[in-house]
Amino acid sequence: MDRIGVFVCHCGVNIAATVDVDEVVDFAGKLDGVVVSKSYKYMCSDNGANLIKESIKKFKLDGVVVASCSPQMHEHTFRRVVEEAGLNPFVLEIANIREQCSWVHPDRKEATEKAKLLVKGAVAKVRLLEPLVREKVKVTPKALVVGGGIAGIQASLDLSEKGFHVYLVEKEPSIGGRMAQLDKTFPTLDCASCILTPKMMDVKNHPNIELFAYSEVVSVDGSIGNYRVKVVRKPRYVDFDKCTGCGDCVNVCRMKGKVPDEFNMNLGKRGAVYIPFPQAIPLKATIDPEQCLFLRYGKCGRSPACQDVCEAEAIDFTQKEELVEFEVGVIVVATGYDLLDPSALYEYGYSRYKDVITTLELERLISSSGPTGGEIVCPSDQRKPGSVTFVLCVGSRDETVCTWCCRVGCMTALKQAYLLREHLGDDVEINICYTDIRSFGKRYEEFYRRIRGVKTNFFRGRPSEVKEKKDGLTIDVFDTMTNKLFEIKTDLVVLVPAVVPRNDSSDLGKILHVSRGADGFFLEAHPKLKPMDTFTDGIFIAGCCQGPKDIQDSVAQASGAASRAANILSKEELEAEPLIAFVDEDFCSGCATCVSVCSFNAIELMKKEDNKYVARVVEALCKGCGSCVAACPSGAMQQKGFKDDQILAVVDVLGGEA
Amino acid sequence: MKKYTLYPGCVMQTEQYGYELSIREVFPVLGVELVDVENFSCCGEPVKSINQLLTLYLSARNLAIAEQQGFDLFVPCSVCHFALSECKNILDNDGGMRSRVNEMLASEDLEYKGKVGVVHTVDLLYDHVGVKEIKKHVKKPLKGLKIASHYGCHLVRPSEIGRPVDSENPMKIEAVLEALGAETMDYAEKLDCCGGLLLVNLPESALTKTGQKLQAVEEHGFDGLVTVCPWCQRMFDSRQKKAGETVAAKLEVPVFYLTQLLGLAFGLDERKLGLDLNLSPVDKLKV
Repeated sequence: MDRIGVFVCHCGVNIAATVDVDEVVDFAGKLDGVVVSKSYKYMCSDNGANLIKESIKKFKLDGVVVASCSPQMHEHTFRRVVEEAGLNPFVLEIANIREQCSWVHPDRKEATEKAKLLVKGAVAKVRLLEPLVREKVKVTPKALVVGGGIAGIQASLDLSEKGFHVYLVEKEPSIGGRMAQLDKTFPTLDCASCILTPKMMDVKNHPNIELFAYSEVVSVDGSIGNYRVKVVRKPRYVDFDKCTGCGDCVNVCRMKGKVPDEFNMNLGKRGAVYIPFPQAIPLKATIDPEQCLFLRYGKCGRSPACQDVCEAEAIDFTQKEELVEFEVGVIVVATGYDLLDPSALYEYGYSRYKDVITTLELERLISSSGPTGGEIVCPSDQRKPGSVTFVLCVGSRDETVCTWCCRVGCMTALKQAYLLREHLGDDVEINICYTDIRSFGKRYEEFYRRIRGVKTNFFRGRPSEVKEKKDGLTIDVFDTMTNKLFEIKTDLVVLVPAVVPRNDSSDLGKILHVSRGADGFFLEAHPKLKPMDTFTDGIFIAGCCQGPKDIQDSVAQASGAASRAANILSKEELEAEPLIAFVDEDFCSGCATCVSVCSFNAIELMKKEDNKYVARVVEALCKGCGSCVAACPSGAMQQKGFKDDQILAVVDVLGGEA
Repeated sequence: MKKYTLYPGCVMQTEQYGYELSIREVFPVLGVELVDVENFSCCGEPVKSINQLLTLYLSARNLAIAEQQGFDLFVPCSVCHFALSECKNILDNDGGMRSRVNEMLASEDLEYKGKVGVVHTVDLLYDHVGVKEIKKHVKKPLKGLKIASHYGCHLVRPSEIGRPVDSENPMKIEAVLEALGAETMDYAEKLDCCGGLLLVNLPESALTKTGQKLQAVEEHGFDGLVTVCPWCQRMFDSRQKKAGETVAAKLEVPVFYLTQLLGLAFGLDERKLGLDLNLSPVDKLKV
């Protein structure tokens, strides 16, 4: 390329305040191969784009450098501009003089010098760029949704309604997720299962949804439009087709009432064979292999009681794990959250005192299908509490544990305060120790006002400690509204723990190649403008796996993610990014180093006619990460748009050698 | 013999002799030689509310003197330990303050280089000597005795400057007590304040704190209480009677320094451990 245009953006004052744009323009104009050099206040505006297009035509440019913000922001914008002017979109190079220059350097002179170098480097690279062609790839019009909570359910229903086939994979025996564990929802006090179970039924009945409950995603290969997914279906030891969900086996299990029930937050007991809750979908029994006497010891009485009682003859102890493979075009991840184990804050006594519980445990105590049938009692002695105290922000907004706000804690406590008053009447004293009440959502503030009116004591402060004294629990809290230290005597302490990423989110992130933020939640591609996209094309996130949120926001995000996903599925074919690796076979010795470093299984070894091996890049799978290029000992592996000579030209400039 | 420089501090030398006596008896048994150094000054903590730079200077001066010895500095008083640890933390992380303080130290040809470690009785016993070694020297196990531990606030907080024990659930004293054969128990008031630092301004509040904690120790059925700080011992032991009057209770809790109990379990002479100097009814406890 020897007719290059350089276009320097002021970005309002973002660049121009620190970088002398005119000086950069003059400097660029004198560089080898540059025939035109211009600046504009906002190069990404229509006027800026027109300036570039007109210059390309007027000066017959064959290469373009735009000195502006990060290529993350506008590379695609300017590629399109260049393309519309009749050039190949890949003869463009961005010099990032904002994020990597004006925003990080205070000194105008030094920043200007650096901007000049960055532009010079970009020009050196453009001289060596080659036009590239975007390959077309066919799209598999199917979707994978990981996680069957409310977000996963909503995304599945939306995608299936649009006519796409959906594979919904849920780790637990039933879909429903956290919402199924809730009694009522704020601020409307809708019964959670009343509004959730119809959606669960829709999932079950929709012809386009294929449900894999009690299953886990174990591997994902491929790329946008064509992901190959492997799912392991765990053995239920119950024949899925024969089981009618009658529950006879559950009632006769010899372990009945002996196994902590995770659905009831371990407050109740189940058997080794169980159905997590009455509205479970699919309504099938599951045998817990860790607890089943027959599976553990090969013996259960004279013969397994469940087998004896099952009229459908559904019990099948010979079941094995089953590996299922399928292809999808997109993936929606909706794996939800965990609550922080409050034992991490020893001072709140969760690990010491039985009557210190979490909001989710109280939710199960309030629920009429819970372990106490809706009786609200202290776990230590089953007596009705005369006083209940909520402690908000347990681990949340705390620099030593979780820095973030859980976004649901305040409203959950307010809702539960209301339900306690409703169930226990005026006899119960309710205290709430809060940091700030964050009732930010629609109709939340009104709900807060309502609770303020039902004889609830609010203490603005974080308790220092929960202690057990002779006559019950005591809490020391300094109320910052009255500037007084209070000692609250209470029977039941309800901790509102921080919302944290699922404990397996690191593993799942690796399987899906989805990155996580410093907090451990899956990272969105842009916090404002791409809140449902990930950095991996074709993979979307919804619900609490992206960050704490309430049900309404989870549902909204799930519908959004489904819609984003449908954008891809509705196309027959996609254009693939051409910036991928390729092999110069003359230099390749077939050492397979590249094969071992590729995270995407995108490189194969091929036998040539002379019986020698060479590497071959599977273009549909290559993500252009560059690992193989860096690892190749002979330089046979190169990346389009980032070939060695193209990168070295920039390095020479930045190092002052050219 | 592993050597440590001993920084005695003021309270131990002016009224809490039992702590010093028992320390000097017990540590040689455990293979720890204590080196005395002349010329130490106040740790600086008492003047912190008036002049923070002076506090920093005084602490740094002591650290610089200790550094010349080449051994870690053993500071049995939790308040001194706090002051010296805080100073070390500031000087190790703030180069500007370090050179400023070193300029002040230069008049005495002293320099803080950041090489000296600061240890307290609890981590010297638990982390440096170790429970295994302590067990070897037990001749009269404290069988059947249920002992409450009191860590004291200066030893546990703030964890940012590095404290020898966990801030919410410290367990090192319990581990040492169990090595001596005693029984321990977690109790709700374990981290409650001794009241010591309130004594000058609000004596009644201070003694109420002292009395309430001692009452709780009695109610939980403990046979005695151990401390590791001369300020705390001063409240629970020396002022036990007064604290009892303040909370209208007759208190009879034997209060020991941890090192005194170690001495008893090692079979050392009671008088050499300064037990006759304790004002609480330590005779109640028969080892």
